[in-house]
Amino acid sequence: PVTAGSIVVPYGHVIGNEKWRGSEIAQRLQGKVRLIFEDGLGLVDFHLSNRTCILLISEADLVAGDEFKRRLVRFRNASSLRGIVIVEKTQISEQYYSGVQKLVVLELGMVLLPVANQGEASQLIIQLVSFCVREQSRDRGANPFLRRQRAPPAEPAVLQAVQHIPGVGKTKALLLLQHFGSIHRLCNASVSELEQVVGQTVAQQIYTF
Amino acid sequence: PGEHSPSLAGISRVPVPPSSSPCILADSREISSGPGVISCLRAVHGLPVQVCPLGSSDYIVSSRLAVDRVFQSELQSPGNRNKLSQRLQRLQGVFERICVIVETDRVRPGETSRFFQRTQHYDGVLSALVQAGIRILFSSCQEETAALLKELALLELRKDAALQVPTEPQGQRRHVLNFYLSVPSLSYGAALSLCHSFGSIAAVANSSVPALAAGARLSRPQAEELHRFLRHDFDLQLLPQPLPAQGK
Repeated sequence: PVTAGSIVVPYGHVIGNEKWRGSEIAQRLQGKVRLIFEDGLGLVDFHLSNRTCILLISEADLVAGDEFKRRLVRFRNASSLRGIVIVEKTQISEQYYSGVQKLVVLELGMVLLPVANQGEASQLIIQLVSFCVREQSRDRGANPFLRRQRAPPAEPAVLQAVQHIPGVGKTKALLLLQHFGSIHRLCNASVSELEQVVGQTVAQQIYTF
Repeated sequence: PGEHSPSLAGISRVPVPPSSSPCILADSREISSGPGVISCLRAVHGLPVQVCPLGSSDYIVSSRLAVDRVFQSELQSPGNRNKLSQRLQRLQGVFERICVIVETDRVRPGETSRFFQRTQHYDGVLSALVQAGIRILFSSCQEETAALLKELALLELRKDAALQVPTEPQGQRRHVLNFYLSVPSLSYGAALSLCHSFGSIAAVANSSVPALAAGARLSRPQAEELHRFLRHDFDLQLLPQPLPAQGK
């Protein structure tokens, strides 16, 4: 059965599918994260937060055929959760990887992360959980890849841009900006207006540029 | 070792007419660090690849998507983290979408295959990238990276965001391109399309936000930022202080 519904994950917990009870991955997770098992999670293997969940694809799934693809497509169609697919990429299953990547990332638009075994999968899940927790606690500054929102002052860039006009160096750029204020007004200045600030030749150059 | 275009789970792919093959911009540094990628794109996939001094990202595959190629070993140790995060943060200011291709390191001649030891840091970087909404692809060699770039470019073409075949402007127009490139929020692709769509800088400066967005295929916020930049009132007081030492 497809479970698309949202599951409420208590803060800092992970909800695991009943079928993983007693597995290597569950044993390694226990003690590191608070793991709760629940029945009836459907297609999902682990819920990390209310928004994020994990689908595991084992080496055996990859070798066995297309069943896992149907599972992923069903999940994608039924659920609005952010699905992270963790796939066991071993020497045996390596040959299928690029096909899986094309399906999951390029066609379904989900996240795909390869691991070598269940041990690596559990380590990866622990890291993912810690980022989910940080996101919920709005500690977004902790993520080095999120863009800081404040914009730097535009002045140095404006000055740089004006210096790309032929015949204009730093000094003339400063003079022009002090006189005209913005690039927009500089563009609409007439030759005679420009001549009041810079010489005749340069004024003509700026005007034609 | 990449199997190409298997029929996947019945998802229909719109066949792309050969005439409208997308163009890819490659950073000039990639000539030395990824020659296999560029030649494979050109020779095997027949895509027009233009090498330009992009500076920011390794590849630009559409008007909104930048691709950075990193080695798996670079994600392994904390030493590279600052460099990578600064790079990606800058990219986020310019591009709507970012993709990172994690490529397996090449085994140099005479070196036995290195055992890849997965570190906690590596998992942490991947988690942070996922959380930041950056797309991650894994590649085992330069040829596979080229195939992935092609797939990304085709995907963007289908979504109508492909680069219009850009040609490097010459002579006087070259200065105009450099002028656009100095605008902080514009990517190389956007600067090229501004060059092609507008007759002069004055025409750009006098355009409205929607006209800029349509003419240069910019997103709405990018067009707004360009508009704001061109009308920004210059204030000498706001320049960073050690003025004379700068810009030599």
